[in-house]
Amino acid sequence: MPIYDQGYRRYEARSPLHRVRFWPITREALRLILAKRAFLGLLAVSFLPFVVRVIQIYIVTRFPEAGRVLPIDGRLFGDFLNQQVGFMILLSIFGASGLIANDLRTGAILVYLSRPLTQRDYIAGKLLVPLALNLAVTLGAALVLYATGLALAPEQYLRWELVWIAPAIVIHSLAASLVVSLLALAVSSLSKSARVAGLGFVGLFFGLEMVRLVLQNGFGRKEAVLLSLQADLQALGVALFGVVDRQLEIFWGWPLLVLFVMSLGCLAILRSRVRAVEIVT
Amino acid sequence: MFQDLAVSYGLVQALSGVSGAFRSGPTGLLGPNGAGKTTLLKTLLGFLAPDRGRLSAFGLDPIRQPLEVRRRLGYMPEQDCHVAGMTAAAFVAFAGELSGLPRDEAISRSHEVLYYVGLGEARYRNVETYSTGMKQRVKLAQALVHDPDLLLLDEPTNGLDPQGREEMLALIHDIATKRGMSLILCSHLLRDVERVCENVIVFNQGQVAKAGEVRELTGARRQVFDVRFKGDGAAVLTDLKDLGAEWREGEDGVRLFLPEGHGPETIFRLAKECGVQVRHLRPGAETLEDVFLRALGHEIQG
Repeated sequence: MPIYDQGYRRYEARSPLHRVRFWPITREALRLILAKRAFLGLLAVSFLPFVVRVIQIYIVTRFPEAGRVLPIDGRLFGDFLNQQVGFMILLSIFGASGLIANDLRTGAILVYLSRPLTQRDYIAGKLLVPLALNLAVTLGAALVLYATGLALAPEQYLRWELVWIAPAIVIHSLAASLVVSLLALAVSSLSKSARVAGLGFVGLFFGLEMVRLVLQNGFGRKEAVLLSLQADLQALGVALFGVVDRQLEIFWGWPLLVLFVMSLGCLAILRSRVRAVEIVT
Repeated sequence: MFQDLAVSYGLVQALSGVSGAFRSGPTGLLGPNGAGKTTLLKTLLGFLAPDRGRLSAFGLDPIRQPLEVRRRLGYMPEQDCHVAGMTAAAFVAFAGELSGLPRDEAISRSHEVLYYVGLGEARYRNVETYSTGMKQRVKLAQALVHDPDLLLLDEPTNGLDPQGREEMLALIHDIATKRGMSLILCSHLLRDVERVCENVIVFNQGQVAKAGEVRELTGARRQVFDVRFKGDGAAVLTDLKDLGAEWREGEDGVRLFLPEGHGPETIFRLAKECGVQVRHLRPGAETLEDVFLRALGHEIQG
């Protein structure tokens, strides 16, 4: 016999709506993703280049002659961030491809949109998930790397000609993380299957990169860089960090424009796909 | 309240200039699939913008103030809905938080509501492993967790076995009567609406066919029989009409609606008196179609 009635209790204490209404969406999605051991493993692996670079900085600061082979300049950070783009793509495939696709499959989209949430809240809440992961492996790691360099060899890092590295890290990481996250989310919204969305995302990145390589190496078309999202991000990094790369020699404004237009396209896809009612005309 | 409400999906007109009001107490939206019931709920939730007309809930416009309206509504959709990978307890708490409850309160209410709907023991199981009946209950729990002023239930007994259906209806009846919550029950099953609701709005082809109290619509309980005669069946039907019976032509014979106090023996007796043979007699139940025809008032002969 129950001690007290387990019946329904009315709830009277209604408080005003929270301003950051999307936060529970981000928090719960991150919690579900980080509960997967395989994903945690991938996240850990994506910090390996960071560890290698820390060792590189340590060696260069302790043995100045090593600086001739491994110089401390923009290339170090440019190369590091370009490497991290690959990990961003992997994290987005395994972490973000199911974010909207699963909601469409399980009907959870109705649970979200029948609450006091706007379409914008939903998209922001979901977008923050890959964005947080991508920023952790790019911006977070690169800034810690920079801080490590500052701590180990302030005299080498506090030179006037290296003062732009920190802003370049911030700009490149933000641009790359935002574009990759938006694309992952947009692709996720186009399917009800996380696997199909993941494959679509892989195809978009690596397929277009293959096309670029064929056009560039086979036909010598430099503008083919603009076709590949990965190459666009690398070209932006090349411009920001002052790295010389003959494959990616193109005016930086063009890849920036491509990335901007692609982001707008992703937002348009999200706006049309994130709906409680699917209208087929 | 909705007035001259017209809603369309692209070129398809789902609601064409319907008007009505939800009275206090549980209200049923009755109609066949595609009649416009769910469209009305979705417009009430602000998912669809009307082509014309007005709609208001709690004195608020769902299109202009969707957040305020949705905050006071609880919605149980017709199709499955759960967040992949979540347990029922986490899912319902999450739903509460999305509705504006503080996290601690949402967790506490999640457990209470899951006990209330009968999922107390299974609340730490992943919702994806639930049976259809359990999924229906968890859908009800997520709609209730924030204690809405108005509960919208879209086909809550879909896919349930008779016992599960009975339990779900008992639960909804309890919410409506003992917990004092207003609710709108959307169904194509007359018995579900009859069991739970006091008022009903009947939809047919995007229009309100009839609105009023359930007992007005269903009238006194009638016995229904599908009958086939051999011989002059019209003579039997004329005699039955004198007793207050109604009928309509069916695909295979006649569907007879006998008033209270009469049964198959009346049919056999009158058939014998008229020298007509009863070749087929099968007891039936009043269908939604019968109620519609009665609501529209002119199809049934008698």
